Amino acid sequence: MRRLLAVAAGVIVVGVAIVALRPTGDIGYIEIKTVPVAPVTQTPLYIDSAKLAPIKQGSAILQQHVGTLRLQADGIAGTLAPLCSIVVKRNRITTVTISVLERPPRCVCRFSTADPVHTCVS
Amino acid sequence: MATSLLGIAKGPRVQFAVAALFALAVALSGSTARADDAANAGAISPVEEFSQQLEAFQRSVPDLNKSIQNSASTIDSASDPEKARAEIDKLRATVSNLLAAVADNGPVSQLGVKALDHVHAKLKALAQETRYKPEERLFLIDQWRKLEVETENANKELDDARMQFAALLQTLQQNEDFIGELLEIRQAEKALEVIRHLTRDIRDASAQLNKLIGGIKPPGA
Repeated sequence: MRRLLAVAAGVIVVGVAIVALRPTGDIGYIEIKTVPVAPVTQTPLYIDSAKLAPIKQGSAILQQHVGTLRLQADGIAGTLAPLCSIVVKRNRITTVTISVLERPPRCVCRFSTADPVHTCVS
Repeated sequence: MATSLLGIAKGPRVQFAVAALFALAVALSGSTARADDAANAGAISPVEEFSQQLEAFQRSVPDLNKSIQNSASTIDSASDPEKARAEIDKLRATVSNLLAAVADNGPVSQLGVKALDHVHAKLKALAQETRYKPEERLFLIDQWRKLEVETENANKELDDARMQFAALLQTLQQNEDFIGELLEIRQAEKALEVIRHLTRDIRDASAQLNKLIGGIKPPGA
């Protein structure tokens, strides 16, 4: 009975969270995959200047506002090294794979634009 | 003759029988007359019949016109490729909302992370706790470990849900054109159903019109 109540309470909390914390404005998603897959990826990664939480099990899906974002990693002398640009479109996922063995890490787009700038698209 | 008959019928029983027969004959002739009157009253004249059928037909005409207009607009919208595109967008938005909740930086995932952090903090604190007897401490640690396992399992289920929603959204965006074609086929099927329905309505109206025309009987026909 207590377990049932706990499950019901959990469902209510999650439901309220989904409704209350629903993102406003146009959002899309970035799927970041890291190779090789590790329980936790130690390489710090940044979207624009925001540091990402360590990526677990080689994959993370992040919701972002629509626009073009820059994926970066720690560079030399405390500066950030740009890896690639990511175009986020409304209700779409843009997938990018990061090879973390290389220095600096290398960005591989699932789909990219034809222009010389390394830009990942959905 | 009547006199002789009356003369023959002399007994009181015979007289009574004759009177009863006479009364019955009068009664029967009265009821027959009433039945004839009723039959004449119930019969509709050809003019009235035609008038009734005409009214029925006229009543059905506006319904048919409305039905034709509705069908035309339904077929128009069903053959609009933009509508199929809008349906895909709607579907994508639905999946996207679900994914927003379970994304790594989404609210539900953050709740899961917080819950697990709390369990870890509690276990760490209990490991250094000196207020309780060893057996009490072990009991508490055991309870928190069970919670830790269950919270980890719940988070894992969340991970699975995240991957499924993400895969679904990717499928939607990668096969957009094909899904659009499927939706257009679905719309075309709907349009066909509307046409069939309309054909049925028109056939009914036609039957009613035939009945109306058949009901017109020129004098002497």
